[in-house]
Amino acid sequence: MKKKILIANRGEIALRIIRAVQELGYVAVAIYETPDKDALHIRVADEAIWIGDGPRSDYLSIEKVIAAVKKSGAHAIHPGYGFLAENPDFAKACEDNGIVFIGPSSDVIEALGNKVTARRIMAEAGIPMVPGTQNLSAGDAGIQEAVEFADKYGYPVMLKATAGGGGRGIRRVENEAQLRAEIPVARSEAKSAFNNDAVFLEKVVINPKHIEVQILADKAGNTVHLGSRDCSIQRRNQKLVEIAPSLIQDQKLVDEICDTAVRAAKAANYFNAGTVEFLVDKDWKYYFMEINTRVQVEHTVTEMVTGIDIVRTQIKLALGKNLSFSQKDVQIRGFAVEMRINAEDPQNNFMPEGGKTVSVYRSPGGYGVRLDGFVYQGFTIPEVYDSLLVKMTVHGFSWNETVDRLKRCLKNYVITGPKTTIPFYLNLVADPDFKKGDFDTSFIETHPQLIEYDEQGSEGNMLARLIAEIHYKKENPYAI
Amino acid sequence: MERIVQGMSITEVLKTVRGADGYYVTNTARDMSQSDYKNRILLHTDLLAAKSREEAGYFSLEITGGASVHVDILRKQVDPFLKLELLRERMPNTMFQTLCRGINLFGYRPYPQNVIRFVVKEFAKYVDVWRVFDFMNHVPNMQAVFEEVQQAGKILEPTVCFSTGPEHTNDFYVKKVSDILDVTGNEIVLCIKNHGGLGTPKRIGDLVDAILQKYPDMVIHYHGHNTDGNDVGRIVAAALAGAKIVDASDHAFTGYYGPPPILSVVHTLKDHGLKAVGLNEEAVVETSEVLRPERKYYEYFESQFKGFDPTVQIHKLPGGAMGSSFEQAVKGKFLDKMPKILHKELPEVQKELGNYWSVTPGSQILWTTAVSNVQTGDRYSNCSGDLKNLLLGKYGPFPFYQPPDWIYEKAFGPDWKKILEEEGGMDEIEDIDLDQERKNLEDKLGYKPTEQQLVTYLQHPNDAVNFFKFEEKFGKVYVLPPSIFFRRGGFKLGETFSFRDHNGKEHVIEIGPMQESEDGTETNVYLNIDHHQRHFVFENEAPGGGEAKAIKLSKREISDLAKAGDVRAPFSANICEISVKPGQEIKVGDKLVMLEAMKMQTPVNSEVAGVVEAVVAAVGDAVHPGDELVKVTLG
Repeated sequence: MKKKILIANRGEIALRIIRAVQELGYVAVAIYETPDKDALHIRVADEAIWIGDGPRSDYLSIEKVIAAVKKSGAHAIHPGYGFLAENPDFAKACEDNGIVFIGPSSDVIEALGNKVTARRIMAEAGIPMVPGTQNLSAGDAGIQEAVEFADKYGYPVMLKATAGGGGRGIRRVENEAQLRAEIPVARSEAKSAFNNDAVFLEKVVINPKHIEVQILADKAGNTVHLGSRDCSIQRRNQKLVEIAPSLIQDQKLVDEICDTAVRAAKAANYFNAGTVEFLVDKDWKYYFMEINTRVQVEHTVTEMVTGIDIVRTQIKLALGKNLSFSQKDVQIRGFAVEMRINAEDPQNNFMPEGGKTVSVYRSPGGYGVRLDGFVYQGFTIPEVYDSLLVKMTVHGFSWNETVDRLKRCLKNYVITGPKTTIPFYLNLVADPDFKKGDFDTSFIETHPQLIEYDEQGSEGNMLARLIAEIHYKKENPYAI
Repeated sequence: MERIVQGMSITEVLKTVRGADGYYVTNTARDMSQSDYKNRILLHTDLLAAKSREEAGYFSLEITGGASVHVDILRKQVDPFLKLELLRERMPNTMFQTLCRGINLFGYRPYPQNVIRFVVKEFAKYVDVWRVFDFMNHVPNMQAVFEEVQQAGKILEPTVCFSTGPEHTNDFYVKKVSDILDVTGNEIVLCIKNHGGLGTPKRIGDLVDAILQKYPDMVIHYHGHNTDGNDVGRIVAAALAGAKIVDASDHAFTGYYGPPPILSVVHTLKDHGLKAVGLNEEAVVETSEVLRPERKYYEYFESQFKGFDPTVQIHKLPGGAMGSSFEQAVKGKFLDKMPKILHKELPEVQKELGNYWSVTPGSQILWTTAVSNVQTGDRYSNCSGDLKNLLLGKYGPFPFYQPPDWIYEKAFGPDWKKILEEEGGMDEIEDIDLDQERKNLEDKLGYKPTEQQLVTYLQHPNDAVNFFKFEEKFGKVYVLPPSIFFRRGGFKLGETFSFRDHNGKEHVIEIGPMQESEDGTETNVYLNIDHHQRHFVFENEAPGGGEAKAIKLSKREISDLAKAGDVRAPFSANICEISVKPGQEIKVGDKLVMLEAMKMQTPVNSEVAGVVEAVVAAVGDAVHPGDELVKVTLG
């Protein structure tokens, strides 16, 4: 019987994994909650199992997912990102049930997922770090600890969910009053999102670049990096645009960061794919931030510039294979940029546009273009999940070529129904600072003109609107 | 050089015309559009004809002025200045001509002097020949325009309006010409404006002759309408008598109330040995070949009643008012009374009101008075404000005699003499503050208007603002052909058309299906635009007496309400926390409600200080933009 692999996720990443599973000749098993009944991952998977009405609660239920694995007879689980991907209890449950968990061991997830423990491990290994607190104590005592730390290092500070990741559960706090107000909110959000209400504080590095390094490690102790990524273009700490490799000119610095990432992974006894995140400040000092113990949303850019299929490699490593290449085999060629095309209205503070139906979907194609998405014409975007519709990854031989290609693809992208981030990206790729590669995490804040656009503005669309009205009213109301 | 070319000096033009062996032709495309198509001929059509009209070698192309400036923005949604710019690009050698109503400009009531001068100055940048008239033939009413046109170095064409009747003698008109020349000097073209197409060919020939007897060097431009079907006769008589320029237009579009066909005039005069100087007959034919296929798209705007109307000699309605009068009769359901109005009442009213010239705005006063007299059955019982102003002499003195006392008594009551004494005569219209008007327009538009926009606004404030907003929404729509712009009854499924937009980009639009939403409140129109499908949503009009639809609030309205203590949901979300209770005192910035959407929690904070009056929403509610959350009494 063919090996079955269950994909414990939804959306574009479920499809991404299903594709790798199918390419390896295995059977891909999808799971879904009721709001996802029309989702594409169910159609593409070889099998699909309904796990409940959700929303979200069933994708987050270890019990239900393990039951689905048993029901399907799957051999292994790929958790994707989000949901249970970095929940050590889930990895542990897999281990206990003899299911291969495609990712690091539960111990490693636990240690690195707990940011406080992770910081300790890294400190011991001599990895440079931003000052921070332990987990805050419960209740008012925790608030007091936070206030004391902030008084010592100064505002602003970052309030982080210990179990958080992917930019979720992070808040920037500017003053004491806000700190006192935000801690309970952060706890409640962490509890609901990660089922763990622990939070801690870190000093803020002002306007850093967010640089991260993709790591692959096998059980034989071989650890390689696949180069750097720049994920500085974010809003509300959520990444929007990711670039590989980093555009930092100082190659020695980039190499040093990559080597540090390998050291960090080794210090944590890391296995499988992971990402080591750093902040790089204005003086080109870098600080370890965290290790994400899962495949990243933005792994695609690294795949494009290295030619290495990270998800395929993850599966092979988990199934006991060793890395088939060494560090010197990893070559970075050209630049890749991923833009997260979200169902959001950039002009309304990026508010989600869930619940809307995609009435038109026309995607770009051609040389150097990769799309990882899950929407189709006629698809109604569930309101209960995240707003990512499709990741557009574009590869080019030079930075300029890559930006030109991005612009072409964005212009050719047509999604109607929900508002999307496309017009915002069209402004972005025309921005002189972006073209120069000059950006840090303050980029969107300091470039408010990016949200100035008129979606209906093209002359053709405006005229079409009049034609539609002449058609609807059966005469031209502006001519009679 | 026989041909008159745009850019020649006034002296050169007049010298060329005076010395020419023959006569010149003005193509009155604007008057044709106004008289036979309710002014709807689109710039799109004029652009199609531009190339051959340019080659035709006219004295001028009358393409703006009259009511067209207003209709451009009101019904054709085209900027009257952009129209002239685009035509100029394609017609560099042809002089453009306008028709200006003197103190009433392109409108219906007198404007302040500074507005008149400003408007003329701006239009003079594009317009080479200025035909200026006053319906009372009151020269002072035209003086400001005369001065500005001469100041701008453009060709001034002062006008004597022509009509018939015992007082309308050649001596009267020759005297009127002399009054005009006293003001303008001799470097002008004189227009005889026969807007009704009145009188016989002989009468017109005699008039031209009478003027030339006194002013042998005068360049006379004869303008007429073909309402009775005999304007070719009058034009021929005028030219034979020595008129140097005559008006006619393209035969593909000639109707009943506007100008006659150019070539009919040209061929007739040729047999008399008179040559149309500079005219390229082939280009005139070519123009009509280009225009002919377009005519069917304007059918809706042609007069309800087709056929020449020789009774115009009795009712004297100007050609420009014929179509709209019949339209009013149909819409007002008094078509059966038209014979009485046209053949009895209107001539009577004309005689009673001084036998002045039935042309805008005086013709509208005559017409509405006659209609009202017939409709009410009690003559002059319902005098319009404009009629009262006319009686009080606000438009100028009556040319021949004052209306009888009983009409004044009907209009103003027993004290009419006192009123006439105190209020009679022309008012000095005060200048308006142009900077203030510019600012007012800027406030309405939200951006700095151009001088041209201000000119349009000063003439028709509301319609101009509506037009500018229309352009913001729909772009430059002159690129659409009449087959689209005037389509009635909707398009066919799958119908495809292509056009080039103002920026030069080609577009293809295919009509897709039209579907009503399940609840019947909206209709979706699907179009394929440049091979991309898009849909447009239209809110169906609520059936009569139906309940009012839920009102959708804009972001701005939501934010405005929040500032008034009426806190609404800013986006679709679930309520995960209510942070306040009724009666609670709150400050600005206090959290009222926590919303959750797609995993993100976002607080809704109070924008005001006060006391919570009511909490409308509950935890767990799914809310949509504009839904009520909390009400705060401002403290």
